[in-house]
Amino acid sequence: MRKFTLNKDKKDLNPSEAQIKRQKDFSRLHHDYEKLTKRGKKPLFRDPKMFLFLLVIAIILLLVFLGEI
Amino acid sequence: MAAKRNITQHTESEVIALSKKDQSYFGALYNKYFDQIFRFVFKRLGGDEDLAGDITQQTFIKAMANIEKYEDRGLPFSSWLYRIAQNEVSMHFRKLKKNFAVPIDENRVIEVAVEASLSTEYMTSDQQEQLVEMLNNLEGDHLDLIELRFFQEMSFKQIAEIYKISEANAKMRTYRILERINKMWKNDK
Repeated sequence: MRKFTLNKDKKDLNPSEAQIKRQKDFSRLHHDYEKLTKRGKKPLFRDPKMFLFLLVIAIILLLVFLGEI
Repeated sequence: MAAKRNITQHTESEVIALSKKDQSYFGALYNKYFDQIFRFVFKRLGGDEDLAGDITQQTFIKAMANIEKYEDRGLPFSSWLYRIAQNEVSMHFRKLKKNFAVPIDENRVIEVAVEASLSTEYMTSDQQEQLVEMLNNLEGDHLDLIELRFFQEMSFKQIAEIYKISEANAKMRTYRILERINKMWKNDK
């Protein structure tokens, strides 16, 4: 919730050029965008943790299947 | 690459069309509109630089992700960005559990008072506080409109473009809210 208050401290409510310059960064935006949209698209062979996890599940399923025969 | 190097030679609609195919062209739009969107968000957040920076970045990420859906309907591209920024700031306020204090200048409060026919002369600080309290009790969308008009100092045309309504409608809605403030003020006396 926002609550308006009187600007008694006479705080400057307009950003300075230096503040704008500090925050303006297209490479950061591009990086954040890539991180947000491309996550989870790593190929399986490049993700050793996920590869091992799936391999362990496959071995367990195989053992269960063999145990039932 | 040649086209990217000559980006300044393209019209805005061409840059938008290029951004739909290749997001690296979006940088030209970012560079053109960042300053004004940052100023808008900064003011709405009462001067919190880092938060304004994050919300402005979030606004441009959303714009970049949705640029394919953008349709040119004769409104300036900036009004689309303002709409996204407006939603992002409102979403931020909704998520907060405690109140977020946004300072506003005395002369802006007096301008609301004059437009709502409450005062044409000097207002004591108690009266100003009382009016601010009254504004805080308005419904969210009413307060947004007052904020855009008086605190962000936007024209009715700009407000109309953000809300995708006619200029006359933006004017009518604002004056209805001012009338309401006037009634509330009189009832309070």
